[in-house]
Amino acid sequence: MIGRLAVSRVALALIGLVIVIAVWQWTIAHYGLARIVLPAPLEVGHTLLGLIGSPPFWRDVAVSLREFLLGYAIGGVLGVLVGILIGERPLVRMTIGPVIEALRFIVPFAWIPLTVLWFGTSLTGKVVLVAYAVFFVMVVTTSRSIATVDPTLTRVGTMLGMRPAEIALKVHLRAAAPGIASGAKAGAALGWIAVVAAEYIGASAGLGVMITNASMSLATATVIAGMIVIGIIGALASWLIGIATRIWLNY
Amino acid sequence: MSELTAASKQPASLSKATSTGNSGEGLAFERISHTYVAANGSTPVLNDVTFSVEPGQVACVVGPSGCGKSTLLSLAAGLMRPTSGVTHWKGKPIEPGTNPDLGMAFQQPGLFPWMTVRQNVAVGLTTRGASRSDARRQADEMLTTVGLTGFGDAYPSQLSGGMAQRVGIARALALRPKLLLMDEPFASVDAFTRLKLQAEFKALLKLDRPTVLFVTHDVSEAILLGDIIVVMSARPASVDRIIPIEREDRDRAGRGYASKMTEALRALGVETDLSHD
Repeated sequence: MIGRLAVSRVALALIGLVIVIAVWQWTIAHYGLARIVLPAPLEVGHTLLGLIGSPPFWRDVAVSLREFLLGYAIGGVLGVLVGILIGERPLVRMTIGPVIEALRFIVPFAWIPLTVLWFGTSLTGKVVLVAYAVFFVMVVTTSRSIATVDPTLTRVGTMLGMRPAEIALKVHLRAAAPGIASGAKAGAALGWIAVVAAEYIGASAGLGVMITNASMSLATATVIAGMIVIGIIGALASWLIGIATRIWLNY
Repeated sequence: MSELTAASKQPASLSKATSTGNSGEGLAFERISHTYVAANGSTPVLNDVTFSVEPGQVACVVGPSGCGKSTLLSLAAGLMRPTSGVTHWKGKPIEPGTNPDLGMAFQQPGLFPWMTVRQNVAVGLTTRGASRSDARRQADEMLTTVGLTGFGDAYPSQLSGGMAQRVGIARALALRPKLLLMDEPFASVDAFTRLKLQAEFKALLKLDRPTVLFVTHDVSEAILLGDIIVVMSARPASVDRIIPIEREDRDRAGRGYASKMTEALRALGVETDLSHD
């Protein structure tokens, strides 16, 4: 039963993919588009296979992933810590809450010119940008999840003899875990988008750089292949976080 | 007539209760007043409440909703301090903080969803210093006592409402509390499950004979479980009367039950005879 369900899910996903490729192919034929404007799916497929066999491509992937993972870890940890403080301490919430509310609407992309100015095209600039993007998602989801923990659980903790710090970490933070996990998933998506966007504008290596270089030499098939790789890596990251969440929060 | 005699007993039982409270064995509320202060004004909830619960006695508190019954429990649990008056446990004023004698069950089970049933019952024991293996063994014993043998590895999300409430009570009783506080623990389960849980709870109290303060809005529950019923007035609440319950009053088909029921409901301002409609 479960086997059949899985098979039909894969089949449906494949049908979706086929529809996209068909529309793509049809558009080229119908409008008589040149290769430079929109290459055929098959050509992009070939280019993609070529990329997978080329070491420079993997170096670009490694650069982008490294920027992403470093920024994600830094922004995630800081975001959860600040989120706990805001969720637990009304004084902290009233002090830095408004600042955070204002800053989180300045999207990461608005910071790209400044990070280029401050950090050049180095790794640091991208890491800062990803950390910034992830930080706000994590602050907001963590503090909200903690603030909405069932108040009965707090009273239970007190009744059982837990100290306030134990209640904060073993009850509130633990009860907030599902909310924080969904924030981690949203943060990963936003962080990955931020990496690629930053690389488009100012970087010396990475997937974004590979794509802008290809675009300047009119290698449109490489541009599209690079975009597909970005999508696949983003989807993989989201999928991995989803699996980790299901394993860890399996109650 | 029975009303009158019970009412005339009230001052005697009150003064007796107060004196034993001062001598320091059970739980005593002495001239408690409490006002909640918020930005949009202050709400007085308790007005000069005095009564006491003797060691091993079960006191059921009934009253109109919002009359401050839960505030009484929070005071007894040391979750907050009254605006004026003193709450005593074993002759000592109750201070905010942890009371090692305390066990409490809530209106909602309040189980930690990430812990198994066994871990939920054991966590209070380990927090209070028991070893993991001891806590585990005692949790399993208590789960057997409340009729949940074999559910130790289940998660709260897999339990029915009545079962979850049993776990919440098992968690409180596993602490072997000398002071047991119950905040309408059976209010959120269906009527039939409630009757079963009440009977089970009554039997469980015989194990350790804790001093119990049991808040309910169900007068029949109060008669079934209580040694005394403390009837509160509307907010700001004071003690309207204390109705002593005898063993024979717990026969639902008996005259004692009917007269205690009538007395309590009339004190609460409820019309008890609808036969002339």
